Amino acid sequence: MSEFLVELKDVWRTYNQGVEPVHALQGVSLKIKESEYVAIMGTSGSGKSTLMNLLGCLDRPSQGQYLLDGTDISTRSEDELAEIRNKSVGFVFQQFNLLPSMSALDNVMLPLVYAGMGKEQRTMRAEQALKDLGLGNRIHHKPSELSGGQQQRVAIARSIVNRPRILLADEPTGALDSHTAKEIMSLFTKLTEEGITVILVTHDPETAACARRIVKVRDGRILEDLIIGKVQ
Amino acid sequence: MSNRLRSLLTVLGIVIGIASVITLLGIGKGAQLEAEKQVQSLGTNLIFIRPGSQSSSSISFGQGTIQTLTYEDALAVKKNCPAVLNIAPQYSSQLQVQYGEKNTLTTINATEPSYTTIRNFNPAQGRFFNDSESREEARVCVLGDTVAADLFGFSDPLKKKILIRGELFDVIGVMEHKGANSAVDMDDQIFIPLSTGYSALFGLSQVTGRTVKSILVEAKPQEDDLAQFQITNLLRFRHHITAPGEDDFTLRTQSDIMQAAQSITGVFSLLLGTTAGISLVVGGIGIMNIMLVSVTERTREIGVRKAIGAKYSQILSQFVIEATVMSLSGGIVGIILGIVCSNALSSFANWKAVVSLDSIFLSFFVSLGIGLFFGIYPARTAAKLDPIVALRSD
Ligand SMILES: Nc1ncnc2c1ncn2[C@@H]1O[C@H](COP(=O)(O)OP(=O)(O)OP(=O)(O)O)[C@@H](O)[C@H]1O
Ligand SMILES: [Mg+2]
Repeated sequence: MSEFLVELKDVWRTYNQGVEPVHALQGVSLKIKESEYVAIMGTSGSGKSTLMNLLGCLDRPSQGQYLLDGTDISTRSEDELAEIRNKSVGFVFQQFNLLPSMSALDNVMLPLVYAGMGKEQRTMRAEQALKDLGLGNRIHHKPSELSGGQQQRVAIARSIVNRPRILLADEPTGALDSHTAKEIMSLFTKLTEEGITVILVTHDPETAACARRIVKVRDGRILEDLIIGKVQ
Repeated sequence: MSNRLRSLLTVLGIVIGIASVITLLGIGKGAQLEAEKQVQSLGTNLIFIRPGSQSSSSISFGQGTIQTLTYEDALAVKKNCPAVLNIAPQYSSQLQVQYGEKNTLTTINATEPSYTTIRNFNPAQGRFFNDSESREEARVCVLGDTVAADLFGFSDPLKKKILIRGELFDVIGVMEHKGANSAVDMDDQIFIPLSTGYSALFGLSQVTGRTVKSILVEAKPQEDDLAQFQITNLLRFRHHITAPGEDDFTLRTQSDIMQAAQSITGVFSLLLGTTAGISLVVGGIGIMNIMLVSVTERTREIGVRKAIGAKYSQILSQFVIEATVMSLSGGIVGIILGIVCSNALSSFANWKAVVSLDSIFLSFFVSLGIGLFFGIYPARTAAKLDPIVALRSD
């Protein structure tokens, strides 16, 4: 297959909702290899979330090409994108976005439900994922009964339970204190060591410093692309 | 949770609608069975002639107070109306009856042997009196099931003698069990020959005038209408009633009786049917409304589910199932309520409501259908949501 897991080729994304069209992305080209650890930085409104949505196959480019693991996303149907998201992508949100009426275990099992996995197997997988993240004694708790850091760890468990190729985190530490944020960041480092590609959006330079590569965005364009540590 | 209360209130429309459907079908079925039973118990092609006009024939004057119909009328009907197959004149009265120590007040029904065939009502034990006994004013009687039990308990009444208003009668038969028929308990009677009744009990003779309380007429097959026409003309002629005058007798047929029963059920059906229809539609719209509210409230959840990999069909079925579970649970409660209601109503009506398995299945599938029909639009709204927009909502 392709040398790169993620390959954006001159991607534009234009929103046509308002009076004037908003060009949130204006010719972005980006290549990311397997198990890289990338931080995307930029001012508010610079297009970071738009970029993440594209990378996560929640959205399609208005122009240009997006190849995920060699396959072109822009020609896929909604349901095919849903399947790709289910199999290859994990999302972690700033607001955690756990379903409040479900237990931690049920939240983590949800992607496996949509993948059509049998009950016994998915329970085992979800329990294991929660144990790996140190939540073995919290699996039957509701999100409202967990701390912020615990909720985010449940969300991470949910995002990786399907063993995705790529993990996308938009401001994952935005709602957490600095100590908990560090824990989450080291968790991501561990995941990249296990072969998952992690791409995260952050404002915080300290958080970004955990990554091995920093992509700076402004006005829908890539301003800088820095490699900090050695990528292997 | 307030959500649960909200769903409960929404489902009330379905509950009432389905309960109405069950009650409606239960009462309707019960009425139909009752009508069939009555037709069977009456015998076929039956016409009742009663003294008194149409307007006065009911409650205000008891059957005994008007004495416009005579035994001679009955004979004339039999003789002169070609469409009439058979007749049985009747004179009845409540009298004291005695056997040994036992005493009871019962209806003495003086009639003729033709009664058994016309009413399709036969002795279970012994025999009915015959024509010669009828002619000879024989002191014989046939007991109704209830009277026999009252007077004799478990012992055999045949060949025993009982006292009717002090007169001795031989018991020659016991009638089969018939059960209550509208107002009259058919088993609480004693049958005696009409001629015997006139001379021995009622003190009526050809001179004083032998009145009857009713004449049962069996018309020839397919000739009920003709028979009615002939009887009416004959009696008008005999009673000297001309065009503007009111008849002093009343004819009633089985179909009249059945129509009366059916018109009552008709009103019921219309009322309940309308209630059912309106509540089901209102209930359905309620479910649609609450589902739309729920989709709006849970937009973010839908976004999350889509981000995680839920396909269109998976979101669609989630919401359709939620709507269907709601309407089905309403339906099930409605079915239970309907069974309770139709049992309660049948204690007021003359017949028993019959809740059939068919009507339960029907209600089940109707409520299922309502959930599907009214749930599909909100579910589609949810499934079509753009995940990005949904995730940004708050
Ligand atoms: N659904 C949308 N419809 C219209 N315009 C949008 C939409 N989403 C984003 N935009 C616009 O696109 C531009 C980029 O938005 P985006 O959310 O990607 O920024 P961001 O870098 O994530 O900002 P922040 O740091 O505040 O989250 C902004 O000008 C925004 O107003
Ligand atoms: Mg953003």
